[in-house]
Amino acid sequence: MEGEATKGVLSVLSRLEMQARSRKAKPPQQQNSVKELKSTIDALITQRDQLKAQIETQMCVQKLRAAMDKQGAHEADEEMDDGSENSKLLRLMARHAQLKDLLHAHHLIGGYDIVKTCQGKGVCVSLATGYEGVYLDTYNLEIDLKETLRIGRHNIPPFIPVNSLAEQSNMQTDIRAFLGALSQHLNAFAGRKQQVKLVKELHKSVEVLETNALCSILVLLLTVPREKIAVLCTLDYADHTRCLPTRVCIECEDKELPGSPHWKNNITLLKETPVHKALITMKKMGYIV
Amino acid sequence: MDDSTKRLLQQLVRRIPTQMLKTTLEKWGRLTTEQQKSLDFTQPKWVLTENLLAFCEENGWTTKHITELEMIYVTDSPNQGMWYAFQLLDPEDDAPSVELTQFKEQFKIHLTELIRHVSIKIKKHTDEAVWIRIAWGDSFSRPNHLKPTYVVHHLQTPYVFMSSVTRKQKPLLSQALVLATRYTAIKDAHLSGRKLTAIRDVVMKQYQQVFPTKYPSPLLEQNQTASNPLIKREQAESSENRHQMACEAFGYGMVPQLQTAVYKLETKFRGITNKTMTERGEPIRCVVKFTSTNLLESFRNCASSGIASTPVTPLLSSITQKGRNFFVITDNGRGPS
Repeated sequence: MEGEATKGVLSVLSRLEMQARSRKAKPPQQQNSVKELKSTIDALITQRDQLKAQIETQMCVQKLRAAMDKQGAHEADEEMDDGSENSKLLRLMARHAQLKDLLHAHHLIGGYDIVKTCQGKGVCVSLATGYEGVYLDTYNLEIDLKETLRIGRHNIPPFIPVNSLAEQSNMQTDIRAFLGALSQHLNAFAGRKQQVKLVKELHKSVEVLETNALCSILVLLLTVPREKIAVLCTLDYADHTRCLPTRVCIECEDKELPGSPHWKNNITLLKETPVHKALITMKKMGYIV
Repeated sequence: MDDSTKRLLQQLVRRIPTQMLKTTLEKWGRLTTEQQKSLDFTQPKWVLTENLLAFCEENGWTTKHITELEMIYVTDSPNQGMWYAFQLLDPEDDAPSVELTQFKEQFKIHLTELIRHVSIKIKKHTDEAVWIRIAWGDSFSRPNHLKPTYVVHHLQTPYVFMSSVTRKQKPLLSQALVLATRYTAIKDAHLSGRKLTAIRDVVMKQYQQVFPTKYPSPLLEQNQTASNPLIKREQAESSENRHQMACEAFGYGMVPQLQTAVYKLETKFRGITNKTMTERGEPIRCVVKFTSTNLLESFRNCASSGIASTPVTPLLSSITQKGRNFFVITDNGRGPS
């Protein structure tokens, strides 16, 4: 209060004047903001219309999609009454959406061949196996689609742990992981089996002493050329998802031989290359007959 | 050479059909070339037996040698006797890495721990199957080689096949098997038959199964009956459909030869016509038994020709799907248990 008293009446008046001026200046500002708001409304209206139109097209597309899904794309095409530019576009959009969904579904199932069974109550998955570019056996697995997925009929050999793979990979929520794991096991098994077959075919001088149904153990009898020493080679495929052995063991009457640098190399070779190829290399190098 | 060896040889030669005798003896390789030559296989069986008994004396064969011969004969003719399938349950972590020598050793150790007088012979057959021959004795008697038990197991698979096991021997055998294979339990798989190969094919899924696929290769229909072409065309689709379903349920081509399927029914009687039966507290029990020289083939034929309705009832398709041919059906269980 004291400060104001010292400034005097004039200063008070001038302040009041300032206030009055500023009040006068406001109306144009308000007008500005009203304009802005109006333009926003216009923009929103056009946006709404656009969205409305989009919904409409979407609905049309969906309707078309449903018809297409029901009867197949061609018949749906014929059903369209007018051949206007618009409807053509709509048809294309519907087809596009359909293909996209199909692609998505295919992606979801990881590119496996799947067929509906029992009027859609189940599916049958085909898992193809191959090794070195050769198609081998195809395995099939039927899955019942109920509240929970259930594995039905299949032709997968009993030594492939289908049920424990389903549990481990959470088949109920992640079918792709399950099919992936299963396919990996099957492909590795097919690969090992093919390797044994190739060894028997390509290497008459190598005797296959032992193998099992899962092809997870392979015992070979090799012969060293000059001395005619028999070498027992055991390949242990402990990792059933792979075609390469986890352990290679060499036994021989000549106690020195398994420890020699050449044979140490051979062991690494057998660990890193498929057995039928490793044997070819070993033969070429003159380690075995 | 004692009497028991002689008896064993006599019994064995009687069992082996004459046409198989020569090859089996050759495989055995215990006869000298001269002895082999001196045997005239056109002679009657008893003459051959006399000759072999003489050689037995001459060469000093023991029971061990004769059981070798027996094993060769049995492994070569697996489709004799009655075979029962058992399923191993809950594998330990190291179950997949059990190999032959380890299995042999463990099985022998565990079985001899359970029963002292027992003679075990284990041999691997060419088709990756491990054959076990067991002659049982008891605490006071030596193993009886005249009634041996045969067990077949494929390593790394959860199935075991047994032939001629008595109720007393089964628990001992089961325990030794479970421990040697590194599983934790064993159960009856409820599958049996005269042909070991058929039972093996069913549980190992080693027969041609048919699945619905995107690119079906047409299944060749067998012995189609030629009839009016118009009728044929009219019915072609439905008959093809029936055939497909029949093959999906029972397999395609040569199916495993099972001889029987047994369904034991235990259910409450339902029906308004017979009041005394409906009011009875006890469930009615009945057994339905199908027999045929090739049961699956018969079923498939019934379904594809339209005698039996398609889709095939789960009761029948369970035979291949679950790998069993003995079922107990009760009221509570929805499907065959």
